[in-house]
Amino acid sequence: MNKNKLLLLGSSLGVLVLFATAAVQENFLRGWRRVQAAGRTDAGAIPVQLRQVVNQSLRTADRCTTCHVTMGPGEEAVTGGPLFKKHPPVTHDPAVYGCTVCHGGQGAATDKEDAHGDVHFWPEPMIPVKMSEAGCGTCHAAPGIPARAELRAAQAVFERLDCRACHRVDGRGGTIRPDGGGMEGPDLTGIAVKGWDAAWHDKHVAKAAQSASGPWKTSFAPVSADDQATVTRFLQTRYGASRLTEAKSTFFSYGCLGCHRVSGVGGDEGPDLTRAGQKDPGQVDFTHVPEGHGLTNWVAEHFRAPGAVVAGSKMPPASAPEADIEQLTLFVLSLRRRELPGAYMPKDRIEVARMGRREFAADGATIYGAFCSGCHGLDGLGRVTGDEVFPSIAHPEFQKLATDKFLTETIAKGRPGRRMPGWNKEGGLRPEEIAAVVAHLRTMAGVPARTQEDTWMAAAEPMTGDPLYAASCAGCHGHKGQGGKGPALANRALLEAASDGFLRDTITKGRPGSVMPAFGEPSTIHRTLTPSDVESIVAYLRSWQGR
Amino acid sequence: MTPAMTEFVDNLRAAPRRILETAFRGGAPKTDRTRSTFIFGNVFLHLHSVRVHRWTLRWSTTMGLGIASTAAFLITLVTGVLLMFYYKPYPDVAYQSIKDIHFVVPTGRFMRNIHRWAANVMVVCVLLHMARAFYTASYRKPREFNWLVGMGLLSITLGLSFTGYLLPWDQLAYWAITIGANIAQSPREITDALEITEWFDPGGFQRALLLGSEIVGEEALIRFYLLHVMVLPLALVFLMTIHFWRIRKDGGLARPDDADQQLQAPGGDVYPVFTQAPEKTYQLAAIVRGRTPAVGRGPENTVPAMPHLFYAELGVLMFTLLICVALSLVSDAPLKELANPSVPENPAKAPWYFLGLQELVAFSAFTGGIGVPSIVLLGLGLIPYLDRESTGTGRWFGGPGGWPLVRRALLVGFGAALAIEALVIRFGWIREWFPSVGQLVVTAINPGTLLTLIYGAYSVWLVKRYNSARAGALGLFTCFLCGFLVLTIIGTYFRGPNWVFYWSPGQWPKH
Repeated sequence: MNKNKLLLLGSSLGVLVLFATAAVQENFLRGWRRVQAAGRTDAGAIPVQLRQVVNQSLRTADRCTTCHVTMGPGEEAVTGGPLFKKHPPVTHDPAVYGCTVCHGGQGAATDKEDAHGDVHFWPEPMIPVKMSEAGCGTCHAAPGIPARAELRAAQAVFERLDCRACHRVDGRGGTIRPDGGGMEGPDLTGIAVKGWDAAWHDKHVAKAAQSASGPWKTSFAPVSADDQATVTRFLQTRYGASRLTEAKSTFFSYGCLGCHRVSGVGGDEGPDLTRAGQKDPGQVDFTHVPEGHGLTNWVAEHFRAPGAVVAGSKMPPASAPEADIEQLTLFVLSLRRRELPGAYMPKDRIEVARMGRREFAADGATIYGAFCSGCHGLDGLGRVTGDEVFPSIAHPEFQKLATDKFLTETIAKGRPGRRMPGWNKEGGLRPEEIAAVVAHLRTMAGVPARTQEDTWMAAAEPMTGDPLYAASCAGCHGHKGQGGKGPALANRALLEAASDGFLRDTITKGRPGSVMPAFGEPSTIHRTLTPSDVESIVAYLRSWQGR
Repeated sequence: MTPAMTEFVDNLRAAPRRILETAFRGGAPKTDRTRSTFIFGNVFLHLHSVRVHRWTLRWSTTMGLGIASTAAFLITLVTGVLLMFYYKPYPDVAYQSIKDIHFVVPTGRFMRNIHRWAANVMVVCVLLHMARAFYTASYRKPREFNWLVGMGLLSITLGLSFTGYLLPWDQLAYWAITIGANIAQSPREITDALEITEWFDPGGFQRALLLGSEIVGEEALIRFYLLHVMVLPLALVFLMTIHFWRIRKDGGLARPDDADQQLQAPGGDVYPVFTQAPEKTYQLAAIVRGRTPAVGRGPENTVPAMPHLFYAELGVLMFTLLICVALSLVSDAPLKELANPSVPENPAKAPWYFLGLQELVAFSAFTGGIGVPSIVLLGLGLIPYLDRESTGTGRWFGGPGGWPLVRRALLVGFGAALAIEALVIRFGWIREWFPSVGQLVVTAINPGTLLTLIYGAYSVWLVKRYNSARAGALGLFTCFLCGFLVLTIIGTYFRGPNWVFYWSPGQWPKH
């Protein structure tokens, strides 16, 4: 019977030992306790306790400050460990907003791995520090960003005018000079949010005129109206997150919106990206991502080899330098959302979500870059991916033929049966935006818009064109115009948009940049068509329109 | 000082002693007699018999499984109450409160781990306890009803465990409950096939009763919470009380007729056997069944429950606690992502003890979730009323056939279950062969019903072969145990997304 007594004694002692172990673990061995134990202020050691930033409205209780003590309210002065660094100056005080709103991660956690979120079953790990500005996208929409070439151009003007001599922007410029002075102008970081005086130039001029010496006298001279407008455009992009702005302008230069929607605007070929930066890493396949786990690596690799990373992806691999891939990744990571109470909804997000303001700038180059360049190329000279050929639309020969009406209708209605979608749709482009794109195409081609409407009409008997079509065109466009290697011609949208003159000229002069030859010119590989042949063919094509 | 004052001071001094005296009637438990008074004078302890047969205290008799189950329940009770201080039964908030318990509440993570492990230990112990009671034929007269009470306790234990599953409101919970709700709705399989759902819809009613709503939402959560922290624990305590009381009233634990002969004389460490001679014959006192005590040993070879039984009970309790605490230090209770109705878990798995059923549910929700369990419960409940024999009571694998029979039944049980599973995994089932076949056919003919039939036929054959209902019961119970094990293990370790068979999770397709 002593067995039972021994069982009782042994088990009780065992339980006692385990409880003691648990107590030691809980009270002495937790990582944050050791971090805080090293913390010192002028008044001595800091109390070792859980610290958190609570924001009731945002529904956050972030315990990050349990280790990152100095980022908590009123504890900036603590020293004693590598973690006790001050938060870089930001608009949103971390002691008020908490941490996870911007950085992601698991605010409730008090262990490093759990808190940083790189654990199983936590869908929103921290955004890597080098991608920190992606966090801004959680709340901010930052509208009106131009494509990258335009942004760079504006930036170049800003640099050329040496505005940074007096003004600090995004942490650069306006430095103190050895002879005293510097920082004469206000810091322009985030000026797009704060707003600025529209009459800044006149005031600068007046101020310079009043001054007899000093930087006002030596550093400022009136700038041209063009440059003023460019500087204004540049200021409109200064949201206080220059890397994100740059990334966004890159995104608007690769034509991603042609296939993807972001916040309801864009094409429907690919998946909606509105929350792509919030993808749960637990739901993502990392098999073909060489650099290990983490959504950042996945997104980046997915730009390099879409088909390998996402089975069945039709996205063309980005022929982009690594720096661009990093920027695109940063932007995709910034595509995140969070329930926000009304008081916290930033003005720019409201403008985009409720008042229809665009996230991209309104100029044709940007819209072309954001929507069209993915298929037609940033230079507009078309693109060949796999067995797909996207037409060269900025070619001068084509632009000479195409009327504004033809271009506008093609963009608005698309080309049924081909990859070109109609942009006159919900979440598509507005008429004035389409007009801007058309104007931009003209600029790219260096060809002025066709002002004269084409009134030439093919008067031939349609059936005379039949054998000619069968001999010269059917090989590529199909016997019934159903399309093949070349686009379908028995296509109502095309025939409605295209004038007879356009068809005639296209047949005669061909489509440089594509396989469509100029049938009006002598050649060894195809028969040459006389103008009357062409007229017959155009009439024949027209006969399909009635159906 | 006035006399009244003196008396007051004396009374004050004597108060602690008197409080003790009045709390424990009959004085300090120092002799056999006062120990007896101590036990039957105490509302909790009197569920014990005052004396306990030495057979009962052998470790091989019960292996302490019943006490371990009780101990695990007490552990979940204490830790559960502690968790209730922080838990908030509302969707999303619930998840957050579990996160807080895990990360911030002092000892919260530890307590939750213990709660979770104790719950699992409880399920295991209850199942093993039932197996023990069965294999030692302890359900026989006069203990038939206690077997039924035990089955009630088993059901409530599983219910408690399952209702606790939803409370964290994570993906694991949400989708397990969704499965549960679909099983509750599974009678529709029949009513739909008969096209009478419109008028007679027990499935829909059951589901609505379980969830309190069309979806798994706040109503379901508060329902499960209430069941988990109040209704089921109260029911459990109620039945437990009867269960324990009946042990005493049914004459202690079952033991073989020749238990007294088998037991050697008590060793020197058995103290006290009796510290004083019986003052009256037990024939008159009739505290326990039996005849006049034999001379030279305790009445009916019994020893006082206090302290012998108490040492054993406390020993098992502490050992159970030790196991739970040790497991809690090693392994954290799981908590997945916040419940998200738009991202189904694939595979969504029920708690492990239901995975055997889920394996059957994969073919027919009704058969797997309601049909087979009902048949099993009915069969188990009838055992004591069909086996009215007496040979082998109180002995492991007692009865005709004995251990060799059980050994063969193990072969048959494992063999049949593995064979059917292999067939199904390799070749599919009726649906794959004849896609157009009606639902009723699949409900009636599927691995679950087939396995039940094979086991049933085998046990009927055993009844004939040994001319004994006990032999049939031994075979059937063993077979079902095997089936349960095979199905549970396959469901737990070898089923991946879409309930497809995989040798290891490493082979699961990626998203």
